[in-house]
Amino acid sequence: MSTLDTAGGASAATTRSEYASGDLGGKSAGREIKNQIARIVVWGCFLIACVPLVWILGSALVKGGHMLLSPDWWSHSQAGITARRVGGGAVHAIQGSLIQALVTALISVPIGVMTAVYLVEYGRGKLARAVSFMVDILTGVPSIVAALFVYAVWVTTFGFQRVAFAVCLALMLLMVPTIVRSTEEMLKLVPNELREASYALGVPKWKTIFKIVLPTAFSGIVTGILLGLARVMGETAPLLILGPYTKNIATNLFSGNMATLPTMIDRDRTEALQPAIDRVWGAALTLILIILILNLLGRLVAHFSKVRN
Amino acid sequence: MKIQRMSQVAALALVGSLSLAACGSDSNSTSDSSSGSASGSSSASGSESAAGGGEDCGKVAIKAEGSSAQKNAIEEAISSYGDKCADAQVDYNPTGSGAGIKQFIAGQVDFAGSDSALKTEPKDGKIEADEAKKFCGSEAWNIPMVTGPIAIAYNVKGVDKLVLTPEVAAKIFKGQITKWNDPAIAKINSGATLPASDIKVFFRSDESGTTENFTNYLNKAASAVWTDEKSKSWKGKGEGKEKSAGVAEATKSTDGGITYVELSYAKDNGLAMAQIDNGGGAVELTSESVGKAVAGAKQTGEGNNLALKLDYTTKEAGTYPILLVTYEIVCSKGKDAEKQAAIKAFLKHFASDDVQKGLEEIGYAPLPDEVKTKVNTAIDAIS
Repeated sequence: MSTLDTAGGASAATTRSEYASGDLGGKSAGREIKNQIARIVVWGCFLIACVPLVWILGSALVKGGHMLLSPDWWSHSQAGITARRVGGGAVHAIQGSLIQALVTALISVPIGVMTAVYLVEYGRGKLARAVSFMVDILTGVPSIVAALFVYAVWVTTFGFQRVAFAVCLALMLLMVPTIVRSTEEMLKLVPNELREASYALGVPKWKTIFKIVLPTAFSGIVTGILLGLARVMGETAPLLILGPYTKNIATNLFSGNMATLPTMIDRDRTEALQPAIDRVWGAALTLILIILILNLLGRLVAHFSKVRN
Repeated sequence: MKIQRMSQVAALALVGSLSLAACGSDSNSTSDSSSGSASGSSSASGSESAAGGGEDCGKVAIKAEGSSAQKNAIEEAISSYGDKCADAQVDYNPTGSGAGIKQFIAGQVDFAGSDSALKTEPKDGKIEADEAKKFCGSEAWNIPMVTGPIAIAYNVKGVDKLVLTPEVAAKIFKGQITKWNDPAIAKINSGATLPASDIKVFFRSDESGTTENFTNYLNKAASAVWTDEKSKSWKGKGEGKEKSAGVAEATKSTDGGITYVELSYAKDNGLAMAQIDNGGGAVELTSESVGKAVAGAKQTGEGNNLALKLDYTTKEAGTYPILLVTYEIVCSKGKDAEKQAAIKAFLKHFASDDVQKGLEEIGYAPLPDEVKTKVNTAIDAIS
């Protein structure tokens, strides 16, 4: 998005300068050349940035598009389908991904939002600084580290099985800091006058936060959550380490394996047989679409409801 | 208010995902006929006892992990098992033999698939077999289930029958023999009209278990020529191609090409396969000659522990020496009776004649009868 904006801005700037030069008549050849070079560089960068995006989308569409057209894809699992058999669908993986994302969100959203409320509304002094610092560090934790940490705690220390809930815990570690950061920014945008007006009417602080501050920043918070969710859904490392694949539909978070789209892709990615290759591309395209929809939803919410001043 | 609208959207999304979940179906058994060539076996064996179930079916889901070499075989077995027992579920994750054994010892999976039996010598201060025993509370058994032969496939016009000795094969794949009419080849192929064209070797450019097994064979059977230890990446000469499909395709389209590839790919591409002469006469790759190699392997485990030691240098007549045997590693006595019964039911199905015969179509060789009897005895003894 930002590349697009830059390019648009650049071309607008060029037209303006051409217009101005026409008015004033005559400009040095040096400036004209510099202008052209800058224009070419900016456009070139924009196009280069677009290449991988278009390429990925294009090849996923071409190679996996036809899989998504079959109704079975959205209604059947892969149970009993081997790499050399055509058929089956991805419903087990789609559902697994959605369930895990939902549970992750259910755990992370309260923690994340509350932490942000604390940082903005209450936090003063050492503790707040410590929390803020920790959130910064958590933001930078690579997903594989989060996954191995949960593995070490869940499997090695407690001796539990690798189950979907362990995946959710690892994803939570990744999602909480992004929610804290985005919510914090949104809460900071809420004008202080609103809070003061509320206090002036004798409303207690907690009620002010719940009835005034949070609703005002609501859409921004939702956007942040949706973007965090989109990030978490595309995450692979925790799934590979903590969530073994299954071809059957699974809904139990605490026992058995649960399939997800990334593990479905991983399962057949080395396969040379055409039906399996088609499924890998289909699953990849499905994952891209789901994340795209989440991202668009986030932007839509942000677009239609800005923080009111 | 805005919040209400948001919660409406959220509710809609929730209902949407739930209804998606409700529509989902695990039943794929009726829609399997579309792939044509290779799918027949599983559906045929499944339909006979489709209504059945009962004591032949496990009642709990079982998880397994390990060797990717047996992935296709076990998937086929799981598929037909699912047709037979609608509620039984078996998950197999092909993460590699080493990972499978580790997860088995850690109690993360119910059985492991492995290309090699549990090691009885210490490695890094730990003995796999003892570790597994500690986890099971009883001895862990290696049960051979699938054998995968590797073909030396070639494409030379006018040569229908080609015999190779381990030394000559090693020299070809090392790049020391470069012409088809080399005296070394001509000597063991008297009567064949060999062209003077170049030998074009194709190898797997990706890391592969097939490469590992093939180089292991060359190293054991022709140690003078092939001095490298077995490895997943290719140490010889030639042109790299991606995956089994890639090398098979390249050999098919190149006159003078030669490669090593799993039996199924050689068959699917209609490639000629070299006969191997280990010293006991030329042997064609057939399920019998592969079965003979498995039958001739020495059992290194005791009783129902069927760890086998393949003899790559065998001179036994009619024995095809280039193959791998993959095992299922199970607890002989488990803590969870229901789970053990489910494992037993699945392995019983895997070792059954129907499934083993079906494996032939997808490039594995069925277990020879003597071994199968032993395997069945071992499975029956699981409790």
